[in-house]
Amino acid sequence: MTLPPFLRAAMGPLRIMMQDRLAVIGMCVLGLIIAMALFAPLLSTHDPRHINEIEDGSVLSRGAAGWELQESLGPLALNDAAHRDGISLIVGRGGMGWSREGAGAWSALDLPTEADLHAVALSPEGRAIVVGDGGVILLQDGADWQPVPAPEANLRGVVWLDGARALLVGTNEEILLLDASSGDLSTVDSPVGRDFPLQSVALDVDGTALIVGERGLAIRYDPEDGSATLERLGSSRDLNHIHISEGGAALVVGERGTLLRRESADSDWSADPAPDTRAMRAGWIGDDGAALAAGRNGLIMEWDGSAWNIAPTQSERHLRALLVVGDEMLALGSDRFVTRLAPPSREHWFGTDHLGRDLFSQNVHGSQIALLVGFLGATLVVLIGTNVGLIAGYYRGRTETVLMRTVDVMYGIPFEPFALILVLLFQPSLTIVILAVSLLTWRTVARLIRSQVLSLRERPFVKAARVAGASDLRIMYLHIFPNVLPLVFLELAIIVGVSIIAEATLSFLGLGPPQAISWGGILHDARLSGAWRTAWWWNLPPGIFIMTTVLSVFFISRSLEVVANPRLRARQ
Amino acid sequence: MTRRGYLIKRVLQAIFSLWIIATILFFLFRMGLPDPTAALVTEGLNAEQRAAVRAQFGLEEPLWRQYVLFLTNAVQGEFGTSFSYRAPVSEIVWERLGNTMILMLAAIVLAYAIGVPLGAWLSWRRGSRTDTAGIFFGLMFRSAPMFWTGMIAILIFGVGLSLFPTSGMRTLPYDADGFLDKIFTLDFLWHAALPVLIVALYYLGSPLLIMRNTMLEVYGEDFIEMARAKGLPERDILYKHAARNALLPVVTQLAVTIGLAAGGQVVVEVVFSWPGLGREILNAVRTSDFPLAQASFLIMAAFVITLNLLVDILYTTLDPRVSFR
Repeated sequence: MTLPPFLRAAMGPLRIMMQDRLAVIGMCVLGLIIAMALFAPLLSTHDPRHINEIEDGSVLSRGAAGWELQESLGPLALNDAAHRDGISLIVGRGGMGWSREGAGAWSALDLPTEADLHAVALSPEGRAIVVGDGGVILLQDGADWQPVPAPEANLRGVVWLDGARALLVGTNEEILLLDASSGDLSTVDSPVGRDFPLQSVALDVDGTALIVGERGLAIRYDPEDGSATLERLGSSRDLNHIHISEGGAALVVGERGTLLRRESADSDWSADPAPDTRAMRAGWIGDDGAALAAGRNGLIMEWDGSAWNIAPTQSERHLRALLVVGDEMLALGSDRFVTRLAPPSREHWFGTDHLGRDLFSQNVHGSQIALLVGFLGATLVVLIGTNVGLIAGYYRGRTETVLMRTVDVMYGIPFEPFALILVLLFQPSLTIVILAVSLLTWRTVARLIRSQVLSLRERPFVKAARVAGASDLRIMYLHIFPNVLPLVFLELAIIVGVSIIAEATLSFLGLGPPQAISWGGILHDARLSGAWRTAWWWNLPPGIFIMTTVLSVFFISRSLEVVANPRLRARQ
Repeated sequence: MTRRGYLIKRVLQAIFSLWIIATILFFLFRMGLPDPTAALVTEGLNAEQRAAVRAQFGLEEPLWRQYVLFLTNAVQGEFGTSFSYRAPVSEIVWERLGNTMILMLAAIVLAYAIGVPLGAWLSWRRGSRTDTAGIFFGLMFRSAPMFWTGMIAILIFGVGLSLFPTSGMRTLPYDADGFLDKIFTLDFLWHAALPVLIVALYYLGSPLLIMRNTMLEVYGEDFIEMARAKGLPERDILYKHAARNALLPVVTQLAVTIGLAAGGQVVVEVVFSWPGLGREILNAVRTSDFPLAQASFLIMAAFVITLNLLVDILYTTLDPRVSFR
């Protein structure tokens, strides 16, 4: 097989390159990164632009400095909790239940349901009842749980009226009375009857039950005569939760930071000004007047006796329940919440950014822009530079003067500021980035190639070609060009590295192609968000990727230098 | 050609380059921003101010008149008033240029002071592990983007260890009479340490590798053979005979680097909030401060060309072999 001469000439240098250990490492690493760019959609674990959310059985505990995140109770959200005589119970989504005695560890309950459970209550005798979606009612029977047959209703609240009777409320204004000994359910007629969702129920000190629901609805149920009457609490917002202490202090919380408080059984309800207007999902009030309210995004407010204050919390999870046992205060959640600034985990290998986007996927996708700009820019640069150098060096005279003066002018233009101006005047896009990279960088290539061509054109083989009648183009591209090829490849390799850094720089300054994911862009986001000072997983990987890519290219270029300059070869 | 003739020719060339750059800049701006005052209505230029700006840049007149006006203003150093600072552009630009140059020159000097001897030493230990490690680290710092190394340095030395300040040139507030008064203080050195180090680490690679490679070439020359034959100690051969003769390419590289120094390193200035010219251009771009962007760039280019010219002239003085072509 006969190879074209320039290919045969290329085989020798390749052999020299393979002898350089660093160059081989460089080629392997670059190969890996190219593969990463090509297979980015396969390699990335998430959609890099997707805002990731997870559900979690989150527990926050009040510490000296604020609410601190505790170990999670399972992967499903926790909805309600109850405590009496040392026994604590928690229920959550997907039929999840937890119990503990005293301050011991939580153990999972084996509940015979998969439905989402919304409320739990403990009777004075310590018997538990759990209610949830789809008419699920579970009564504790020693260690077992007895399902109570019930109509389809999404039950939200439950309270024991005494040792034998419990009152249940649901989202279609259902008010159900359960006789725990017989398992009979009877419906209590609501005074409204417009299918308003009822959210929560609590036992008042006079033995009646107070139910709250949508649009400020409050219904008082009197077990003595079985009547349900409408009550005004002074708010028309949706109410989510009610808690009444044993002494008669009461707290109702609702949407838009609604906080309704009653200091004692005899006093009136008053609406407290809230420091935040997000939805509150759970409230707790003690006999001494201390009160807590919890809501979405980790919002917990504490009553200091005269005003509500936002307590420092460690997490942005959505809280749904409060459990206070003696000095211990727990806040429970969490529905699907955005996993902002999560450190590296098995789910997110490089963690997440401030919008909950997966950083590993972003880094993997970032290689595409880097290599695209790197190779496209470098090819363009070398194409322009080599041709200018060839023509200037070969023709000399006026052509050379004009071309080399142009190169001189180019040397007067600083790169980064020029790119900034280009982006100011024309909208940022991939084309502008590649143009900005290549418009200035060809100056070096042109100078180097020209000086090489200047010496080559005086060589005997060029004279021989000219005598043989070869045209200028033929001499330039078939006779001189193959001899500057090693130098061209050397410059190509160096400029790939330069281009990758240039693209990263522009993206870092926020001037890269919009909507594109790039390594520089990730660092731009990190700097802009201000979180980079703590979220090391955010700013470490992109830089390492840039460095590794450019370094591997430089390793290759170093061995090309040995090819281009035989004098280096002899001494090593 | 005589030395005098060479000088005149080089100066004329520099002026020519500057004129071309000014022309490119003018047409780029007119192409991208036909009416610069329109882009800044947010900044609250009232009708009167807009008219003043339009008159100053001759925006009502034909293009060639605008061009002549632009060149006349540039020659007279009249760059107009910055939209965002409401102050003459030239004042702002000169101060920022000084800040950039002090940062860049300190870093370049540091990089070459370390890189050149280190490169010579590596060539002497060629093929050893030290040599490979030296090349590796030199190339590594050259490959790492400066904004990233800067961020990491701030994380470690600024935030983590609280050893160095993370932004600015001086602790605020301070008062200084003029530029020199500002920089000849310990406080300035303390602020400059991190940014200078980051830029120096980046520049370190090229003197190191060029020195090493040139030394390898020089080792093959006859006069080294001769020195060895005379029985001179290796150390003397390395530093007295070989290193001196290997300096030329390093000096060439130094000249190019200093020549481009005025262009600064925008990202380092951004990361360390260094009030330099590059950061000023970025701000001007962001706020569409057209007079400031245009003047900053032009003055920066003028400075780069002047530095190139000075370096070239110095170079011919240092090395008589370089002919006055």
